[in-house]
Amino acid sequence: MKKFIKWIASGWMLILFFVGFFLFWEYSIPLFDIPRYILPSPSEIVLKGSADLDKLVYYTGVTALETVLGYIIALILGVGFGIAISFSSILRRTLYPFFVSIEMTPKIAFAPLFISWFGFGLMPKVIIVVLVCFFPIVLNAILAFNSLSNELTLFYQSTGASRLKTFFSIRLPAALPQCFVGFKYAAINATVGATIAEFIGSDKGLGFYISIVTGNMRPDLAFAGIFFLTVLGLTIFGFVTMMEKILIPWHISMKRINK
Amino acid sequence: MKNFIEVTELKKVFGNGEDEVHAFGPATININSGEFVSVLGPSGCGKSTLMLMVAGLLDSTSGKVEFENKVVSGPKTDIGIMFQDNTLVPWRTVRGNIELQLELRGLNLKDYQEKINNILKSVNLDDFADRFPNELSGGMQQRAAFCQAMIHDPKIILLDEPLGKLDAMTREKIRADFQKLWMVKKPTVIFVTHSIEEAVQLSNRVILITPRPGKIDREIKIDLPYPRDLQIKRSAKFTEYVNSIQEVFHKYGVI
Repeated sequence: MKKFIKWIASGWMLILFFVGFFLFWEYSIPLFDIPRYILPSPSEIVLKGSADLDKLVYYTGVTALETVLGYIIALILGVGFGIAISFSSILRRTLYPFFVSIEMTPKIAFAPLFISWFGFGLMPKVIIVVLVCFFPIVLNAILAFNSLSNELTLFYQSTGASRLKTFFSIRLPAALPQCFVGFKYAAINATVGATIAEFIGSDKGLGFYISIVTGNMRPDLAFAGIFFLTVLGLTIFGFVTMMEKILIPWHISMKRINK
Repeated sequence: MKNFIEVTELKKVFGNGEDEVHAFGPATININSGEFVSVLGPSGCGKSTLMLMVAGLLDSTSGKVEFENKVVSGPKTDIGIMFQDNTLVPWRTVRGNIELQLELRGLNLKDYQEKINNILKSVNLDDFADRFPNELSGGMQQRAAFCQAMIHDPKIILLDEPLGKLDAMTREKIRADFQKLWMVKKPTVIFVTHSIEEAVQLSNRVILITPRPGKIDREIKIDLPYPRDLQIKRSAKFTEYVNSIQEVFHKYGVI
């Protein structure tokens, strides 16, 4: 409770801003005479959206499954490749430049191809999410595992410890902060990947829902869909941030945020 | 009898071809067991390079290093090492960082708890055992790093400008701490520094290195009794040592 009061006390400006923002939105629609098929008011979005709640919740589940599945696969592959590339000079000269060059291509451009190859089901969406999330994770992991200070390297060498032991005692914990930069960036992009994949070809999910209702001139329902997508994105990002706090509470950037 | 550490015609060249940089040597040095030897020279003279080669942490281009008649061919493990940038990891407390040294060496932590408490007390860090490094001042961090380097009772301690980033007052205090611990345990110490006063105060012997490529200009035996406190530092003999070393570096245009 004390924490909650403290949180309100420190966040009141932000809360006030949001309240003001939605009030402005609500009352500027009659004020400027904006037609509802262009921009609906927040109250209308809530009203119409709640009538479609069952569908929205179900579709959120569908999109969540694609996003989370893709994200987890990207996490495993990204960290795995990241470690492999960091410790192998051959991979660093082959796979690493390859990954860097692919990072330049907009991965989402592959989406129509994947849909045509793998159909309308779950798989192509998961693959697109993996593709979108993999690169920030792997590139940050490579950076993370290569940036151990010279001093710490010399220190562990002077102890004669095995490579496995130094990996778990020093290299892995030292790499986590930079890894989380990639994890968080990927978490933000994960829902984008899933949504666009659904835009292109699907029969369920929030992306599908938004594209259908927009086509039916129902921006109120589109906004409801966007709201659920935002909640999904925030939940995933919040979970990753929470993991960061649990796994690396010692990290300087965390301390600064807490203060 | 041969010396404890024998460095023979040791030389280091980085890179090759046009990018070649002659960093150090060739130089020959002998060090006795339990001796406190300072390696003094201007920055970039290769003194850190020398220290790392002695520890087997850096390959030499030519020449050899021997410990008790055994040629060093890889990283030596019966050493404690300390740098200007400390080797404390931010995710462990002071105690945890000292334990890291023991864990990496596969030593039993339980056997060392008493020792950890004692060494922390000797450098006035006993109240900070459960603090994280970033909660400590720079001087306290270096003292914790010193405990980390000493806890396993290494025969050889390598100090690479460990006080380089500290303010003058803190340096003074930590020098006294180092000296106290060294007098009790008598490890062999190789102390790399560019502070003349520091070298004279702490060492049995000071090795003067020329600007790059670092070669040995001369060795000066410091014949002053330990512990070298403020009184000794004010003595004429101390000043004489400092002045004579300053003259050498003045000759090279370093100061």
